Amino acid sequence: MQRMVIQRILIGLVTLWVVSVLVFIMTSLLPGDVASIVLGQAATPETLAAYRAANGLDQPLIFQYFGWLANMVTGDLGVSKAGGAKIYDLIAGRLGNTMFLAGLVALISVPLSVALGLLAAMYPGTWIDRSLTFGTLALISVPDFFIATFAVLILAVQLGWLPAIASVAPENTFWQMARGIAMPLIVLVIVVAAQMIRMTRAGILNVMNSPYIEMAILKGVRRKRIILRHAFFNTIGPIVNVIALNLAYLVSGVVIVETIFAYPGLAKLMIDGVQTRDLPLVQACAMIFCGTYVVLIIMADVAAILANPRLRNPK
Amino acid sequence: MTDSRNLPTIDSLSGADREIVETGLKRGATRREVMTWLMASGATIAAAGSIVSSAKTALAATPKKGGKLKFASDLHGPSDTLDPGLNTSTIDYSRGRSVYNSLTQINDDLSTRPELAEEYSANPDNTEWTFKLRKGVKFHDGSNFTADDVIYTMSRHYGEKSTSKAKSLVADVKEWKKVDSHTVKAIMKGPNADLPVILGTPHFKIIKDGTTEFQKANGTGPYKMTEFNPGVRSICVRNEHYWRDGGNVDLIEVTAITDPVARLSALLSGDIDLMQGLNPKAIKKVESTPGVGIWSVASGAYFGICAMTNTSPGNNRDFVLALQHIQRRKKIVKSILKGQGTVGNDHPINIAYGADHCSELAQRTHDLDKAKFHLKKSGITSAELNVAEVAPGMTDICLLAQREAGKIGLDLKIKKVPNDGYWGAVWMKTPLNVVTWNMRPTANVMMNLAFAPDAPWNDTLWKNERLGKLLVESRGVKDAAKRHEMYCEMQKIISVGSDDHPPSGMVIPAHRNYVDAKSDKVEGIGRMPLGSLGGYEWPEFAWRTDV
Amino acid sequence: MTDTTQAAASESDQETSIYDELPDAPPKKKLKLTWTGKLGVIVVAFWVIIAVIGPWIAPYDQAEILDMDSYLPPGAEIDSGGTHWLGSDNNERDILSRVLWGARMTVGISFFATLLAYLMGVTAGIAAAVKKGWIDMILSRINDAILSLPTIMLGLLIVVALGSSIPILIGTAAIIYASSVYRIARAYGQEIMVMDYVESAQARGETIWWIIFREVLPNAAMPLATDFGLRLVFVVLFISSLSFLGLGIQPPNADWGSMVRGNLEAMQYAEGWGILAPIWPALAIASFTIAINLIVDDISAKSGGDLAKKMI
Repeated sequence: MQRMVIQRILIGLVTLWVVSVLVFIMTSLLPGDVASIVLGQAATPETLAAYRAANGLDQPLIFQYFGWLANMVTGDLGVSKAGGAKIYDLIAGRLGNTMFLAGLVALISVPLSVALGLLAAMYPGTWIDRSLTFGTLALISVPDFFIATFAVLILAVQLGWLPAIASVAPENTFWQMARGIAMPLIVLVIVVAAQMIRMTRAGILNVMNSPYIEMAILKGVRRKRIILRHAFFNTIGPIVNVIALNLAYLVSGVVIVETIFAYPGLAKLMIDGVQTRDLPLVQACAMIFCGTYVVLIIMADVAAILANPRLRNPK
Repeated sequence: MTDSRNLPTIDSLSGADREIVETGLKRGATRREVMTWLMASGATIAAAGSIVSSAKTALAATPKKGGKLKFASDLHGPSDTLDPGLNTSTIDYSRGRSVYNSLTQINDDLSTRPELAEEYSANPDNTEWTFKLRKGVKFHDGSNFTADDVIYTMSRHYGEKSTSKAKSLVADVKEWKKVDSHTVKAIMKGPNADLPVILGTPHFKIIKDGTTEFQKANGTGPYKMTEFNPGVRSICVRNEHYWRDGGNVDLIEVTAITDPVARLSALLSGDIDLMQGLNPKAIKKVESTPGVGIWSVASGAYFGICAMTNTSPGNNRDFVLALQHIQRRKKIVKSILKGQGTVGNDHPINIAYGADHCSELAQRTHDLDKAKFHLKKSGITSAELNVAEVAPGMTDICLLAQREAGKIGLDLKIKKVPNDGYWGAVWMKTPLNVVTWNMRPTANVMMNLAFAPDAPWNDTLWKNERLGKLLVESRGVKDAAKRHEMYCEMQKIISVGSDDHPPSGMVIPAHRNYVDAKSDKVEGIGRMPLGSLGGYEWPEFAWRTDV
Repeated sequence: MTDTTQAAASESDQETSIYDELPDAPPKKKLKLTWTGKLGVIVVAFWVIIAVIGPWIAPYDQAEILDMDSYLPPGAEIDSGGTHWLGSDNNERDILSRVLWGARMTVGISFFATLLAYLMGVTAGIAAAVKKGWIDMILSRINDAILSLPTIMLGLLIVVALGSSIPILIGTAAIIYASSVYRIARAYGQEIMVMDYVESAQARGETIWWIIFREVLPNAAMPLATDFGLRLVFVVLFISSLSFLGLGIQPPNADWGSMVRGNLEAMQYAEGWGILAPIWPALAIASFTIAINLIVDDISAKSGGDLAKKMI
């Protein structure tokens, strides 16, 4: 297993590098550069040249990339080309916010969806299963910005129970914090749990078709016991993988939720970076996302191996 | 003479009537408009006048000190900056107004009053301006404000290395000279009566001599910044040593909520007190919701469709005329802007510019027959318009034009492009594109920026030497009638042109108000028309009624 | 238990075909749909038909701005005669007409994008599985890179760089989702490549193409078909996410995702039942995607869990 983990880490590093090249190429294809976007409508050839010179943008792009790569390797994230702030400063607080939200969502949604997924699998075809299937399908099928906006209009504007925008200010008390983060938390739990419930159910039902379960059924073991004792452990691999992917989504893909709740997280920062063509900022965010993904997938693989005796003790 | 004690006051009105008067006044109706309405419902002139006066007094209550204020703008990001020269967005300007001061301050009618400059005057031919600076003003770091700070601030708007966005506005000044520790002089290249009003605009906020780092703000303004987190929020607390009585609330939090629906939700649920940029369609909802109201200020800001004059189809005068005649200007103001705007006449100077607006110029109207005639003459049957939502309503205006174009046999394709990168890659680069301009402090500055033959931002790359000459000459003219005549000619050149000189290629269907919204608990927002929420002037003057 | 009987039935057919030994063998019996699956088929068929004939049966053109008001309630009458059966949208257009026109855009784009994603993903995935070595290494790393970046971010990068047009949206969605397809196809390919019968085919000296078309693809077909349905749903939602950022289908073309986005504000400030404006296109999306999922559920009752493993 150690060998596998080391191999995966090496592959992860290569992937990180590929991501940086990919992002670099795509960013260089974007129309306009930082200078023309920051100066916007007010840009003139002279101010553009002055801005580029002041921010080191007059060098060829490829030099900028290697300069960035060299700094990155030494742990220096550089300076935002758009506002001059240190990228570390821009990212640090937001990374914390993102992890805080993602962690809370995971804490609630993982047990919830595994439990509901098991429940649906235990009683397939019953009204519990059907309503869970329809409920989750409906939630997956509607754009998340619709769910988010709807939730705001009901919970914040109509009922006034929760604030319409998220707030994670450091001076907040715990209670304010909990209230401030409730809306994005609710919406994300809904979006993420729907996926995981379905996958858990599908995974378990699939295992239920395997010969050894059929054998157990023929032996007269109770269905509940089969699912909890036999099927579930054999399904952990795929379920953990689905969870890992959903966590990766929580770290990197929640742009829309961050936008609607004005939650200062990383995904929005990267979009801002793309929109201002701020190469070092975009690269730094991409590295974090890719790194998270790699780490989560490795963890999922390890978990799958630990949960499965056949994989734990290879022939 | 009637005894004034017997005249009715606002308190004598019934609930509904009272509300109409108060809402009208709050929304900026003039005294005369409200009086006309009162008289129509039976009041005498004297009674109506008295009612309006008492209502105004009630509204203009003394500011209270204390409380917190939370403002949400529409855009922010890593490019947020406290460097006044690089300020771009409402959020930057609002932060700037909290922490810095300008030499002059612009009034609601676009005249100026002293701020850091106690006194300012020009020599007889307006070629030299002298600014006497206020003494005893301190920066937030405790240092004194002197002429050196002004000279340093101004120097950042000149030279090849300057990244200032307002360079061109002060290009007229040949030299800034320090006379003594509290006097500076601006030596002009030619006569210019507009310098004080230009210096009142956001980019000329005064910073401390030698400042090169803008992660923190060191100004003389009513608030001190205690937290600045680009793309997240900023916090300012009242400057207890401010040089005048300003800064009413204890703390201002500034942030942005980019999604317009979410922004309004935040206001409706009370999470913010002030918001920038209200979709006109939401006006009804805001007005019918207790506790919040709209803040609409008429301005010269405009929407434009630019037909580049250096290429087809914009170089075809008939095509542009067809495009101008398919504009349903009244419908745009009524349905797209929900009344919060005025019709445009294909030139930038509307009534908001006061005496410089040319009311004699005939209003262009929706006329499909004329449009058809010109389109046929032009021989053009299809064109592609690049559209970004540069201001709320821009896309709707273009969709409406697309529909009307179909009626005269013009296939107007709309290519919607993202806002980011728009100014660098699409505007002034593609044959047909859109633009929006905020109102500028004077008609001269406006036309000089976007229409002068050598202007870097001449939307349609249109060159008209006569206009350039008039722009320079009119700056020195003091005779009002003569000046009006010159400005009228300029507007005519831009909109109609003459047989030898084609017009600018700009289609300006409408001017928009700045429409924002606020909680009823916030008062003291001004009506200066150069930007959102009264020209970004609110941070110093806003106050809460509930403290 | 129906599952047990089906499994037993397929075991009894064992002699008929070599494929049946495989764990991923497609069910030999004709697919039996539950009532939910049948409902799914009906709804999908409905939308496909609308996609074809929508523009002809729509009362108005999708771009027609009718001179009334935005966000009229369902059933509102138009000045010039006629009725907005579902009300009017943010630009005073007829919502019913736009939902009908939008079927073509939404169903069409998601179908073609998914198809393209499959062409790319399956080709590359099978190639990686069959060729192995450095080709596999390169393809897999590029694929990892695409997978590790948030889809919306990648979409934004591509669409901003190349401009938003229908072919580019299809291409973008295809590239992004090809990476997931690649993983599945590669996993199946690898699994099948080590099967005895493939090894014996190789020993017989069959070409690699023969193996791919005769052995690998037929065996991976059913699970891939299941995934196709799910992928289609993701593409619909992806395009609507791009609409949220203003980069989706461009006006005046109607597509359901951008209709939801464009009319979202109605829930906040439209009067009366005009607030339903974004609900109609959302219902259209939901009915279409739920219907597909219902069919997928039935197909994947057998292969779904196994698929889940490979989708990762």
